[in-house]
Amino acid sequence: MTLLALVFSIVAGTGALAWGYLQMGFGQYARWILIFGMFWLVGVWQRWRWFAYAGLAFNLAVAALGLWFTNFPPGWMFAGAIGGLLAFDLTDFSYRLRFSASAEERRQVERRHLLRITLLALVGFVLASLAMMFTLNYSFEWGLFLAIVAALGILQLVAWYRSRQ
Amino acid sequence: MARAHFLGILIFVLLLAGLAGLRGALPALAIPLLLYLLYGLNHGSGPIALEAHRTLSTNRVLPNTPVRVSVTISNRGRNLDELVVQDLLSPNLSVMEGSLSHLISLPGGGSYTFEYVVKGPRGGYALEELRVDEYDHFGLIHHGQTVPAAGQLFVFPPVVRLKGVTIRPRGTRVYSGTIPARVGGPGVEFFSVRDYQAGDAPRHINWHVSARHADHLFSNEYQQERVADVAIILDGRKRANLFAGGRSLFEHSVLAAAALSNALLAQGDRVGLLIYGQYLEWTWPGYGKLQRERILQALAHARPGASQVFDGLEYLPTRMFPPKSQIILVSSLLEDDFQTLVQLRARGYQILIVSPDPVAFELSHLPQKPESRLAARIVRLERGLLIHNIQRAGIQFVEWDTSRPFDQATGHYLTGRGVLVGARL
Repeated sequence: MTLLALVFSIVAGTGALAWGYLQMGFGQYARWILIFGMFWLVGVWQRWRWFAYAGLAFNLAVAALGLWFTNFPPGWMFAGAIGGLLAFDLTDFSYRLRFSASAEERRQVERRHLLRITLLALVGFVLASLAMMFTLNYSFEWGLFLAIVAALGILQLVAWYRSRQ
Repeated sequence: MARAHFLGILIFVLLLAGLAGLRGALPALAIPLLLYLLYGLNHGSGPIALEAHRTLSTNRVLPNTPVRVSVTISNRGRNLDELVVQDLLSPNLSVMEGSLSHLISLPGGGSYTFEYVVKGPRGGYALEELRVDEYDHFGLIHHGQTVPAAGQLFVFPPVVRLKGVTIRPRGTRVYSGTIPARVGGPGVEFFSVRDYQAGDAPRHINWHVSARHADHLFSNEYQQERVADVAIILDGRKRANLFAGGRSLFEHSVLAAAALSNALLAQGDRVGLLIYGQYLEWTWPGYGKLQRERILQALAHARPGASQVFDGLEYLPTRMFPPKSQIILVSSLLEDDFQTLVQLRARGYQILIVSPDPVAFELSHLPQKPESRLAARIVRLERGLLIHNIQRAGIQFVEWDTSRPFDQATGHYLTGRGVLVGARL
Protein backbone atom coordinates (compact mmCIF):
# COMPACT_ATOMS: atom_id res chain seq x y z
CA MET A 1 0.00 0.00 0.00
CA THR A 2 2.82 2.38 0.91
CA LEU A 3 4.72 1.55 -2.24
CA LEU A 4 1.63 2.24 -4.30
CA ALA A 5 1.12 5.57 -2.55
CA LEU A 6 4.79 6.42 -3.03
CA VAL A 7 4.72 5.73 -6.76
CA PHE A 8 1.46 7.61 -7.07
CA SER A 9 2.84 10.66 -5.26
CA ILE A 10 5.93 10.73 -7.48
CA VAL A 11 3.88 10.37 -10.64
CA ALA A 12 1.30 12.91 -9.47
CA GLY A 13 3.93 15.41 -8.26
CA THR A 14 6.13 15.39 -11.34
CA GLY A 15 3.10 14.99 -13.58
CA ALA A 16 1.43 18.08 -12.10
CA LEU A 17 4.56 20.15 -12.56
CA ALA A 18 5.05 18.92 -16.12
CA TRP A 19 1.42 19.61 -16.93
CA GLY A 20 1.71 23.16 -15.51
CA TYR A 21 4.80 23.85 -17.58
CA LEU A 22 3.24 22.30 -20.69
CA GLN A 23 0.17 24.48 -20.32
CA MET A 24 2.38 27.55 -20.37
CA GLY A 25 4.14 26.35 -23.51
CA PHE A 26 7.33 25.01 -21.95
CA GLY A 27 7.14 21.54 -23.46
CA GLN A 28 10.90 21.03 -23.36
CA TYR A 29 10.99 21.67 -19.59
CA ALA A 30 7.96 19.44 -19.08
CA ARG A 31 9.83 16.61 -20.78
CA TRP A 32 12.83 17.04 -18.45
CA ILE A 33 10.54 17.07 -15.42
CA LEU A 34 9.00 13.79 -16.55
CA ILE A 35 12.44 12.29 -17.15
CA PHE A 36 13.42 13.28 -13.62
CA GLY A 37 10.22 11.66 -12.36
CA MET A 38 11.21 8.45 -14.10
CA PHE A 39 14.65 8.62 -12.49
CA TRP A 40 12.95 9.02 -9.15
CA LEU A 41 10.92 5.90 -9.79
CA VAL A 42 14.13 4.08 -10.62
CA GLY A 43 15.51 5.40 -7.31
CA VAL A 44 12.52 3.88 -5.51
CA TRP A 45 13.11 0.59 -7.28
CA GLN A 46 16.79 0.65 -6.40
CA ARG A 47 16.05 1.76 -2.81
CA TRP A 48 18.13 4.91 -3.09
CA ARG A 49 16.82 6.72 -0.02
CA TRP A 50 18.95 9.77 -0.72
CA PHE A 51 17.09 10.33 -3.98
CA ALA A 52 14.01 11.45 -2.02
CA TYR A 53 15.96 14.46 -0.77
CA ALA A 54 16.98 15.37 -4.31
CA GLY A 55 13.43 14.75 -5.52
CA LEU A 56 11.84 17.05 -2.96
CA ALA A 57 14.40 19.79 -3.61
CA PHE A 58 13.85 19.41 -7.36
CA ASN A 59 10.06 19.54 -7.15
CA LEU A 60 10.17 22.59 -4.89
CA ALA A 61 12.72 24.34 -7.08
CA VAL A 62 10.68 23.69 -10.24
CA ALA A 63 7.47 24.84 -8.53
CA ALA A 64 9.19 27.96 -7.15
CA LEU A 65 10.65 28.81 -10.56
CA GLY A 66 7.24 28.45 -12.12
CA LEU A 67 5.71 30.75 -9.55
CA TRP A 68 8.61 33.22 -9.71
CA PHE A 69 9.23 33.88 -13.36
CA THR A 70 5.87 33.45 -14.91
CA ASN A 71 2.46 33.30 -13.48
CA PHE A 72 2.00 29.61 -13.80
CA PRO A 73 -1.24 28.08 -12.52
CA PRO A 74 -0.37 27.85 -8.81
CA GLY A 75 -2.60 24.81 -8.26
CA TRP A 76 -0.37 22.57 -10.39
CA MET A 77 2.76 24.00 -8.78
CA PHE A 78 1.45 23.39 -5.27
CA ALA A 79 0.33 19.91 -6.29
CA GLY A 80 3.84 19.21 -7.57
CA ALA A 81 5.45 20.45 -4.36
CA ILE A 82 3.05 18.47 -2.17
CA GLY A 83 3.57 15.38 -4.31
CA GLY A 84 7.31 15.73 -3.71
CA LEU A 85 6.74 16.14 0.01
CA LEU A 86 4.55 13.02 0.13
CA ALA A 87 7.14 11.01 -1.77
CA PHE A 88 9.85 12.30 0.57
CA ASP A 89 7.83 11.18 3.58
CA LEU A 90 6.79 7.82 2.19
CA THR A 91 10.32 6.90 1.16
CA ASP A 92 11.45 7.18 4.76
CA PHE A 93 8.30 5.51 6.02
CA SER A 94 8.76 2.52 3.74
CA TYR A 95 12.28 2.20 5.13
CA ARG A 96 10.88 2.06 8.68
CA LEU A 97 8.23 -0.42 7.60
CA ARG A 98 10.85 -3.05 6.93
CA PHE A 99 11.04 -3.58 10.69
CA SER A 100 7.45 -4.77 10.89
CA ALA A 101 7.23 -8.44 11.65
CA SER A 102 3.83 -9.35 10.26
CA ALA A 103 1.39 -8.20 7.64
CA GLU A 104 -1.08 -7.26 10.37
CA GLU A 105 1.48 -5.13 12.19
CA ARG A 106 2.40 -3.49 8.90
CA ARG A 107 -1.19 -2.78 7.91
CA GLN A 108 -1.99 -1.05 11.19
CA VAL A 109 0.97 1.30 11.01
CA GLU A 110 0.46 1.95 7.30
CA ARG A 111 -3.20 2.80 7.67
CA ARG A 112 -2.52 5.30 10.44
CA HIS A 113 0.37 6.95 8.67
CA LEU A 114 -1.27 7.24 5.27
CA LEU A 115 -4.40 8.75 6.78
CA ARG A 116 -2.33 11.27 8.67
CA ILE A 117 -0.14 12.31 5.75
CA THR A 118 -3.08 12.54 3.36
CA LEU A 119 -4.96 14.84 5.70
CA LEU A 120 -1.88 16.95 6.18
CA ALA A 121 -1.35 17.24 2.43
CA LEU A 122 -4.94 18.36 1.96
CA VAL A 123 -4.71 20.94 4.73
CA GLY A 124 -1.39 22.18 3.34
CA PHE A 125 -2.85 22.48 -0.14
CA VAL A 126 -5.87 24.38 1.13
CA LEU A 127 -3.81 26.72 3.28
CA ALA A 128 -1.34 27.42 0.47
CA SER A 129 -4.20 28.11 -1.92
CA LEU A 130 -5.83 30.43 0.62
CA ALA A 131 -2.52 32.22 1.10
CA MET A 132 -2.39 32.84 -2.63
CA MET A 133 -5.75 34.59 -2.47
CA PHE A 134 -4.47 37.19 -0.04
CA THR A 135 -1.85 38.90 -2.10
CA LEU A 136 -0.49 41.98 -0.43
CA ASN A 137 1.80 44.59 -1.87
CA TYR A 138 4.38 45.39 0.72
CA SER A 139 7.25 47.82 0.75
CA PHE A 140 10.95 47.12 1.31
CA GLU A 141 10.63 48.00 5.03
CA TRP A 142 7.87 45.43 5.39
CA GLY A 143 9.96 42.90 3.55
CA LEU A 144 12.95 43.54 5.81
CA PHE A 145 10.76 43.25 8.89
CA LEU A 146 9.25 39.97 7.73
CA ALA A 147 12.71 38.63 6.85
CA ILE A 148 13.93 39.35 10.39
CA VAL A 149 10.80 37.77 11.88
CA ALA A 150 11.24 34.72 9.65
CA ALA A 151 14.90 34.36 10.58
CA LEU A 152 14.11 34.65 14.29
CA GLY A 153 11.30 32.17 13.91
CA ILE A 154 13.54 29.65 12.20
CA LEU A 155 16.22 30.12 14.86
CA GLN A 156 13.62 29.60 17.56
CA LEU A 157 12.42 26.47 15.81
CA VAL A 158 15.92 25.07 15.56
CA ALA A 159 16.62 25.86 19.25
CA TRP A 160 13.38 24.20 20.28
CA TYR A 161 14.12 21.17 18.17
CA ARG A 162 17.62 20.83 19.59
CA SER A 163 16.42 21.21 23.16
CA ARG A 164 13.93 18.39 22.59
CA GLN A 165 16.65 16.16 21.22
CA MET B 1 21.44 15.01 6.96
CA ALA B 2 18.52 14.86 9.38
CA ARG B 3 15.22 15.17 7.62
CA ALA B 4 14.03 17.94 9.93
CA HIS B 5 17.14 20.00 9.14
CA PHE B 6 16.67 19.46 5.44
CA LEU B 7 13.06 20.61 5.59
CA GLY B 8 14.05 23.61 7.75
CA ILE B 9 16.59 24.68 5.13
CA LEU B 10 14.06 24.34 2.31
CA ILE B 11 11.52 26.41 4.21
CA PHE B 12 14.11 29.06 4.99
CA VAL B 13 15.23 29.26 1.36
CA LEU B 14 11.65 29.59 0.14
CA LEU B 15 10.89 32.34 2.67
CA LEU B 16 14.07 34.20 1.85
CA ALA B 17 13.49 33.86 -1.87
CA GLY B 18 9.93 35.11 -1.45
CA LEU B 19 11.06 38.10 0.57
CA ALA B 20 14.00 38.86 -1.67
CA GLY B 21 11.93 38.72 -4.81
CA LEU B 22 8.78 40.10 -3.19
CA ARG B 23 6.93 37.03 -4.42
CA GLY B 24 4.14 36.04 -2.08
CA ALA B 25 3.68 32.68 -3.80
CA LEU B 26 7.00 31.37 -2.56
CA PRO B 27 6.27 31.62 1.17
CA ALA B 28 2.90 30.08 0.36
CA LEU B 29 4.77 27.16 -1.19
CA ALA B 30 6.54 26.71 2.14
CA ILE B 31 3.27 26.31 4.05
CA PRO B 32 2.83 22.53 3.43
CA LEU B 33 6.43 21.97 4.45
CA LEU B 34 6.00 24.06 7.57
CA LEU B 35 2.84 22.20 8.51
CA TYR B 36 4.59 18.89 7.98
CA LEU B 37 7.54 19.98 10.10
CA LEU B 38 5.42 21.37 12.93
CA TYR B 39 3.10 18.38 13.03
CA GLY B 40 6.03 16.03 13.05
CA LEU B 41 7.80 17.86 15.83
CA ASN B 42 4.63 18.20 17.86
CA HIS B 43 4.70 14.88 19.56
CA GLY B 44 5.21 14.06 23.18
CA SER B 45 8.58 14.85 24.63
CA GLY B 46 10.46 13.27 27.48
CA PRO B 47 12.53 10.18 27.84
CA ILE B 48 11.31 6.78 26.82
CA ALA B 49 10.39 4.69 29.86
CA LEU B 50 10.32 1.12 28.71
CA GLU B 51 10.77 -2.10 30.61
CA ALA B 52 11.43 -5.43 28.98
CA HIS B 53 11.19 -8.93 30.27
CA ARG B 54 12.52 -12.00 28.51
CA THR B 55 11.69 -15.64 29.07
CA LEU B 56 13.21 -18.65 27.38
CA SER B 57 11.51 -22.01 27.06
CA THR B 58 14.79 -23.49 28.29
CA ASN B 59 18.22 -21.99 28.76
CA ARG B 60 20.37 -25.13 28.59
CA VAL B 61 20.14 -27.03 25.35
CA LEU B 62 22.13 -29.15 22.96
CA PRO B 63 23.37 -27.72 19.67
CA ASN B 64 20.68 -26.78 17.15
CA THR B 65 17.83 -27.44 19.55
CA PRO B 66 15.01 -24.91 19.04
CA VAL B 67 14.43 -22.51 21.92
CA ARG B 68 11.36 -20.31 22.12
CA VAL B 69 12.11 -16.80 23.34
CA SER B 70 9.33 -14.54 24.53
CA VAL B 71 9.90 -10.81 25.06
CA THR B 72 7.42 -8.45 26.68
CA ILE B 73 7.90 -4.69 26.50
CA SER B 74 5.95 -2.47 28.84
CA ASN B 75 5.62 1.25 28.34
CA ARG B 76 5.79 3.14 31.65
CA GLY B 77 5.87 6.58 30.04
CA ARG B 78 4.21 8.60 27.33
CA ASN B 79 2.56 7.28 24.18
CA LEU B 80 5.02 6.04 21.62
CA ASP B 81 3.66 6.52 18.14
CA GLU B 82 6.13 4.53 16.10
CA LEU B 83 8.45 2.25 17.96
CA VAL B 84 10.94 -0.01 16.27
CA VAL B 85 12.00 -2.84 18.57
CA GLN B 86 14.93 -5.02 17.66
CA ASP B 87 16.24 -7.87 19.70
CA LEU B 88 20.02 -7.96 19.58
CA LEU B 89 21.09 -11.55 19.15
CA SER B 90 24.42 -13.13 18.54
CA PRO B 91 24.98 -13.64 14.81
CA ASN B 92 25.66 -17.31 15.55
CA LEU B 93 22.05 -17.85 16.53
CA SER B 94 19.63 -18.36 13.69
CA VAL B 95 15.97 -17.49 13.85
CA MET B 96 13.74 -20.38 12.80
CA GLU B 97 10.39 -18.80 13.46
CA GLY B 98 9.16 -15.30 14.21
CA SER B 99 10.99 -12.04 13.81
CA LEU B 100 13.54 -10.10 15.83
CA SER B 101 12.32 -6.66 14.77
CA HIS B 102 8.90 -5.13 15.21
CA LEU B 103 7.31 -1.84 14.29
CA ILE B 104 4.61 -1.05 16.78
CA SER B 105 2.63 1.72 18.36
CA LEU B 106 2.74 1.50 22.13
CA PRO B 107 0.43 3.66 24.25
CA GLY B 108 1.46 4.70 27.75
CA GLY B 109 0.85 1.85 30.18
CA GLY B 110 0.53 -0.65 27.35
CA SER B 111 2.65 -3.67 26.67
CA TYR B 112 3.58 -5.77 23.69
CA THR B 113 4.79 -9.35 23.55
CA PHE B 114 6.55 -11.05 20.72
CA GLU B 115 8.03 -14.51 20.35
CA TYR B 116 10.55 -16.16 18.15
CA VAL B 117 12.36 -19.48 17.96
CA VAL B 118 16.14 -19.66 17.70
CA LYS B 119 18.72 -22.36 17.46
CA GLY B 120 22.46 -22.26 17.42
CA PRO B 121 25.75 -24.06 17.65
CA ARG B 122 27.65 -24.72 20.88
CA GLY B 123 28.24 -21.53 22.82
CA GLY B 124 27.17 -19.31 25.65
CA TYR B 125 24.84 -16.56 24.47
CA ALA B 126 23.98 -13.54 26.55
CA LEU B 127 20.65 -12.13 25.44
CA GLU B 128 21.04 -8.85 27.22
CA GLU B 129 19.15 -6.01 25.65
CA LEU B 130 16.73 -4.74 23.07
CA ARG B 131 17.34 -1.85 20.74
CA VAL B 132 14.38 0.51 20.61
CA ASP B 133 14.04 3.45 18.23
CA GLU B 134 11.17 5.83 18.65
CA TYR B 135 10.06 8.06 15.79
CA ASP B 136 7.63 10.94 15.74
CA HIS B 137 4.58 10.96 13.42
CA PHE B 138 6.70 11.53 10.32
CA GLY B 139 10.05 10.14 11.36
CA LEU B 140 11.61 13.58 11.81
CA ILE B 141 12.80 13.03 15.35
CA HIS B 142 14.39 9.82 16.41
CA HIS B 143 15.22 8.65 19.92
CA GLY B 144 17.21 5.48 20.15
CA GLN B 145 18.24 3.57 23.23
CA THR B 146 18.76 0.09 24.54
CA VAL B 147 16.47 -1.55 27.07
CA PRO B 148 17.87 -4.30 29.29
CA ALA B 149 16.14 -7.65 28.90
CA ALA B 150 18.43 -10.16 30.51
CA GLY B 151 18.52 -13.76 29.45
CA GLN B 152 21.11 -16.42 28.93
CA LEU B 153 21.21 -19.35 26.63
CA PHE B 154 23.78 -22.10 26.99
CA VAL B 155 24.21 -24.47 24.14
CA PHE B 156 26.20 -27.25 25.70
CA PRO B 157 28.22 -29.81 23.82
CA PRO B 158 26.51 -33.20 23.70
CA VAL B 159 27.62 -35.31 26.65
CA VAL B 160 28.38 -38.87 25.63
CA ARG B 161 27.89 -41.23 28.54
CA LEU B 162 30.91 -43.39 29.31
CA LYS B 163 30.63 -46.30 31.69
CA GLY B 164 33.65 -45.05 33.57
CA VAL B 165 37.21 -43.91 33.13
CA THR B 166 39.91 -46.03 34.67
CA ILE B 167 42.75 -43.90 35.95
CA ARG B 168 45.62 -44.68 38.29
CA PRO B 169 47.08 -41.45 39.63
CA ARG B 170 49.91 -41.67 42.13
CA GLY B 171 48.08 -39.56 44.68
CA THR B 172 44.49 -39.78 45.79
CA ARG B 173 42.31 -37.77 48.12
CA VAL B 174 40.96 -38.91 51.48
CA TYR B 175 37.40 -39.62 50.42
CA SER B 176 36.40 -43.03 49.27
CA GLY B 177 35.91 -43.54 45.61
CA THR B 178 36.76 -45.96 42.84
CA ILE B 179 40.48 -45.50 42.37
CA PRO B 180 42.84 -47.95 44.09
CA ALA B 181 44.87 -45.82 46.50
CA ARG B 182 47.85 -48.16 47.06
CA VAL B 183 47.04 -48.00 50.76
CA GLY B 184 45.73 -50.82 52.91
CA GLY B 185 42.38 -50.55 54.58
CA PRO B 186 38.75 -51.31 53.85
CA GLY B 187 38.14 -52.24 50.27
CA VAL B 188 37.49 -55.08 47.88
CA GLU B 189 40.81 -55.91 46.26
CA PHE B 190 43.39 -57.83 48.31
CA PHE B 191 46.33 -55.63 49.29
CA SER B 192 48.49 -57.39 51.97
CA VAL B 193 48.54 -59.44 55.15
CA ARG B 194 49.20 -57.98 58.56
CA ASP B 195 49.07 -59.01 62.22
CA TYR B 196 45.63 -59.52 63.59
CA GLN B 197 44.41 -56.55 65.57
CA ALA B 198 41.62 -56.48 68.07
CA GLY B 199 38.42 -55.60 66.33
CA ASP B 200 39.29 -57.24 62.99
CA ALA B 201 36.35 -59.13 61.61
CA PRO B 202 36.81 -62.93 61.77
CA ARG B 203 36.09 -63.18 58.04
CA HIS B 204 39.16 -61.05 57.38
CA ILE B 205 41.50 -63.47 59.16
CA ASN B 206 43.81 -65.18 56.71
CA TRP B 207 43.63 -68.75 58.00
CA HIS B 208 46.25 -70.10 55.60
CA VAL B 209 48.96 -67.78 56.86
CA SER B 210 47.83 -68.03 60.50
CA ALA B 211 48.07 -71.83 60.36
CA ARG B 212 51.78 -71.58 59.73
CA HIS B 213 52.35 -69.60 62.93
CA ALA B 214 51.39 -71.24 66.20
CA ASP B 215 50.86 -68.10 68.26
CA HIS B 216 49.93 -65.50 65.73
CA LEU B 217 46.85 -64.59 63.74
CA PHE B 218 47.01 -62.67 60.54
CA SER B 219 44.36 -60.57 58.84
CA ASN B 220 43.91 -59.69 55.21
CA GLU B 221 44.21 -56.07 54.28
CA TYR B 222 42.40 -54.67 51.31
CA GLN B 223 43.31 -51.83 49.03
CA GLN B 224 41.51 -48.62 49.79
CA GLU B 225 39.61 -47.03 46.94
CA ARG B 226 39.48 -43.29 46.94
CA VAL B 227 38.69 -40.37 44.71
CA ALA B 228 41.39 -38.47 42.87
CA ASP B 229 42.19 -35.06 41.50
CA VAL B 230 41.86 -34.95 37.75
CA ALA B 231 42.77 -32.03 35.53
CA ILE B 232 41.38 -32.17 32.03
CA ILE B 233 43.36 -30.02 29.63
CA LEU B 234 41.52 -29.14 26.47
CA ASP B 235 43.92 -28.11 23.76
CA GLY B 236 42.43 -25.04 22.10
CA ARG B 237 45.44 -24.01 20.06
CA LYS B 238 44.45 -23.15 16.56
CA ARG B 239 47.40 -24.87 14.97
CA ALA B 240 46.48 -28.10 16.73
CA ASN B 241 42.84 -27.93 15.71
CA LEU B 242 42.38 -26.16 12.42
CA PHE B 243 43.05 -27.80 9.11
CA ALA B 244 42.79 -26.92 5.45
CA GLY B 245 39.45 -25.56 4.35
CA GLY B 246 38.63 -24.21 7.82
CA ARG B 247 37.81 -27.68 9.13
CA SER B 248 38.31 -28.05 12.84
CA LEU B 249 38.87 -30.91 15.23
CA PHE B 250 38.01 -28.70 18.15
CA GLU B 251 34.37 -29.73 18.34
CA HIS B 252 35.48 -33.34 18.68
CA SER B 253 37.93 -32.37 21.41
CA VAL B 254 35.18 -30.52 23.26
CA LEU B 255 32.91 -33.53 22.98
CA ALA B 256 35.64 -35.78 24.38
CA ALA B 257 36.36 -33.38 27.25
CA ALA B 258 32.65 -33.22 28.11
CA ALA B 259 32.32 -37.00 28.12
CA LEU B 260 35.44 -37.51 30.24
CA SER B 261 34.55 -34.85 32.80
CA ASN B 262 31.04 -36.24 33.10
CA ALA B 263 32.25 -39.78 33.65
CA LEU B 264 34.91 -38.75 36.17
CA LEU B 265 32.53 -36.58 38.16
CA ALA B 266 30.00 -39.39 38.14
CA GLN B 267 32.51 -41.71 39.78
CA GLY B 268 33.18 -39.12 42.47
CA ASP B 269 36.47 -37.61 41.38
CA ARG B 270 37.45 -34.00 41.79
CA VAL B 271 37.71 -32.60 38.29
CA GLY B 272 39.08 -29.31 36.95
CA LEU B 273 39.23 -28.09 33.38
CA LEU B 274 41.88 -26.01 31.69
CA ILE B 275 41.24 -24.67 28.22
CA TYR B 276 44.62 -23.96 26.72
CA GLY B 277 44.36 -21.77 23.63
CA GLN B 278 44.43 -18.06 23.05
CA TYR B 279 44.44 -17.70 26.82
CA LEU B 280 44.08 -19.94 29.83
CA GLU B 281 40.62 -20.58 31.11
CA TRP B 282 40.73 -22.53 34.30
CA THR B 283 37.72 -24.07 35.98
CA TRP B 284 38.76 -24.87 39.52
CA PRO B 285 38.49 -28.51 40.53
CA GLY B 286 35.31 -29.55 42.25
CA TYR B 287 32.90 -32.38 42.78
CA GLY B 288 29.41 -33.24 41.74
CA LYS B 289 26.66 -31.82 39.64
CA LEU B 290 27.53 -28.20 40.26
CA GLN B 291 31.02 -28.81 38.93
CA ARG B 292 29.58 -30.62 35.95
CA GLU B 293 27.51 -27.53 35.20
CA ARG B 294 30.57 -25.27 35.57
CA ILE B 295 32.61 -27.42 33.23
CA LEU B 296 29.85 -27.62 30.65
CA GLN B 297 29.48 -23.85 30.75
CA ALA B 298 33.22 -23.45 30.23
CA LEU B 299 33.07 -25.91 27.35
CA ALA B 300 30.12 -24.06 25.86
CA HIS B 301 32.24 -20.91 25.69
CA ALA B 302 35.40 -22.66 24.51
CA ARG B 303 36.84 -21.43 21.22
CA PRO B 304 40.10 -22.32 19.50
CA GLY B 305 42.53 -19.44 19.40
CA ALA B 306 46.08 -18.51 18.60
CA SER B 307 48.56 -16.87 20.92
CA GLN B 308 52.30 -16.42 20.69
CA VAL B 309 52.66 -17.18 24.38
CA PHE B 310 50.59 -20.35 24.41
CA ASP B 311 51.77 -21.63 21.08
CA GLY B 312 53.46 -24.59 22.75
CA LEU B 313 52.49 -26.56 25.84
CA GLU B 314 55.53 -25.34 27.80
CA TYR B 315 53.47 -22.68 29.55
CA LEU B 316 51.03 -25.14 31.05
CA PRO B 317 50.47 -23.81 34.57
CA THR B 318 51.40 -27.00 36.39
CA ARG B 319 51.04 -25.36 39.79
CA MET B 320 47.31 -25.41 39.26
CA PHE B 321 47.32 -29.20 39.23
CA PRO B 322 47.68 -30.92 42.61
CA PRO B 323 50.89 -32.98 42.88
CA LYS B 324 50.64 -36.61 41.79
CA SER B 325 47.24 -36.00 40.29
CA GLN B 326 45.89 -37.30 37.03
CA ILE B 327 46.14 -35.11 33.96
CA ILE B 328 44.03 -35.89 30.92
CA LEU B 329 45.10 -34.01 27.83
CA VAL B 330 42.58 -33.84 25.02
CA SER B 331 44.61 -32.83 22.01
CA SER B 332 45.40 -33.84 18.48
CA LEU B 333 49.01 -33.42 19.62
CA LEU B 334 51.87 -31.65 17.92
CA GLU B 335 55.46 -32.71 17.42
CA ASP B 336 56.87 -30.18 19.88
CA ASP B 337 54.52 -31.18 22.71
CA PHE B 338 56.53 -34.26 23.50
CA GLN B 339 59.13 -32.53 25.68
CA THR B 340 56.55 -30.86 27.89
CA LEU B 341 54.64 -34.08 28.35
CA VAL B 342 57.77 -35.91 29.44
CA GLN B 343 58.54 -33.13 31.91
CA LEU B 344 55.06 -33.40 33.37
CA ARG B 345 55.47 -37.12 33.71
CA ALA B 346 58.79 -36.60 35.44
CA ARG B 347 57.12 -34.35 37.99
CA GLY B 348 54.93 -37.22 39.10
CA TYR B 349 51.73 -36.59 37.20
CA GLN B 350 49.93 -39.49 35.66
CA ILE B 351 49.09 -38.48 32.12
CA LEU B 352 46.42 -39.79 29.81
CA ILE B 353 46.22 -38.36 26.31
CA VAL B 354 42.97 -38.64 24.42
CA SER B 355 43.81 -37.63 20.90
CA PRO B 356 41.31 -37.13 18.08
CA ASP B 357 43.15 -38.54 15.08
CA PRO B 358 44.06 -35.57 12.86
CA VAL B 359 45.34 -37.72 10.00
CA ALA B 360 42.14 -39.71 9.58
CA PHE B 361 40.13 -36.51 10.04
CA GLU B 362 41.94 -34.63 7.31
CA LEU B 363 42.13 -37.61 5.00
CA SER B 364 38.38 -38.06 5.19
CA HIS B 365 37.96 -34.58 3.73
CA LEU B 366 40.52 -34.95 0.96
CA PRO B 367 39.87 -36.43 -2.47
CA GLN B 368 40.85 -40.08 -2.56
CA LYS B 369 43.96 -39.80 -4.71
CA PRO B 370 47.19 -41.78 -4.52
CA GLU B 371 49.00 -38.57 -3.53
CA SER B 372 46.65 -38.02 -0.57
CA ARG B 373 47.07 -41.58 0.59
CA LEU B 374 50.85 -41.35 0.30
CA ALA B 375 50.91 -38.06 2.22
CA ALA B 376 48.67 -39.54 4.90
CA ARG B 377 50.97 -42.52 5.17
CA ILE B 378 54.01 -40.31 5.69
CA VAL B 379 52.24 -38.16 8.28
CA ARG B 380 50.97 -41.26 10.02
CA LEU B 381 54.48 -42.63 10.26
CA GLU B 382 55.67 -39.39 11.85
CA ARG B 383 52.76 -39.41 14.24
CA GLY B 384 53.31 -43.07 15.01
CA LEU B 385 56.86 -42.28 16.02
CA LEU B 386 55.66 -39.48 18.29
CA ILE B 387 53.09 -41.77 19.90
CA HIS B 388 55.69 -44.48 20.35
CA ASN B 389 57.99 -42.05 22.18
CA ILE B 390 55.11 -40.84 24.33
CA GLN B 391 54.21 -44.36 25.33
CA ARG B 392 57.81 -45.12 26.15
CA ALA B 393 57.74 -42.19 28.54
CA GLY B 394 54.96 -43.96 30.45
CA ILE B 395 52.18 -41.81 29.19
CA GLN B 396 48.87 -43.45 28.43
CA PHE B 397 47.60 -42.72 24.96
CA VAL B 398 44.21 -43.25 23.37
CA GLU B 399 43.72 -42.27 19.77
CA TRP B 400 40.23 -41.57 18.56
CA ASP B 401 39.17 -41.85 14.95
CA THR B 402 36.51 -39.17 14.90
CA SER B 403 34.50 -40.97 12.25
CA ARG B 404 33.35 -43.28 15.06
CA PRO B 405 31.34 -42.20 18.10
CA PHE B 406 33.56 -41.36 21.05
CA ASP B 407 32.08 -43.87 23.46
CA GLN B 408 32.25 -46.70 20.97
CA ALA B 409 35.77 -45.91 19.84
CA THR B 410 37.36 -45.28 23.22
CA GLY B 411 34.99 -46.62 25.86
CA HIS B 412 36.56 -50.09 25.81
CA TYR B 413 39.97 -48.66 26.67
CA LEU B 414 38.94 -45.88 28.99
CA THR B 415 36.96 -48.26 31.15
CA GLY B 416 40.02 -50.42 31.64
CA ARG B 417 38.79 -53.43 29.73
CA GLY B 418 41.30 -52.85 26.97
CA VAL B 419 45.02 -52.31 27.22
CA LEU B 420 45.08 -48.64 28.07
CA VAL B 421 48.80 -48.07 27.93
CA GLY B 422 49.58 -47.68 24.31
CA ALA B 423 46.03 -48.18 23.18
CA ARG B 424 45.61 -47.03 19.63
CA LEU B 425 42.25 -47.28 17.95
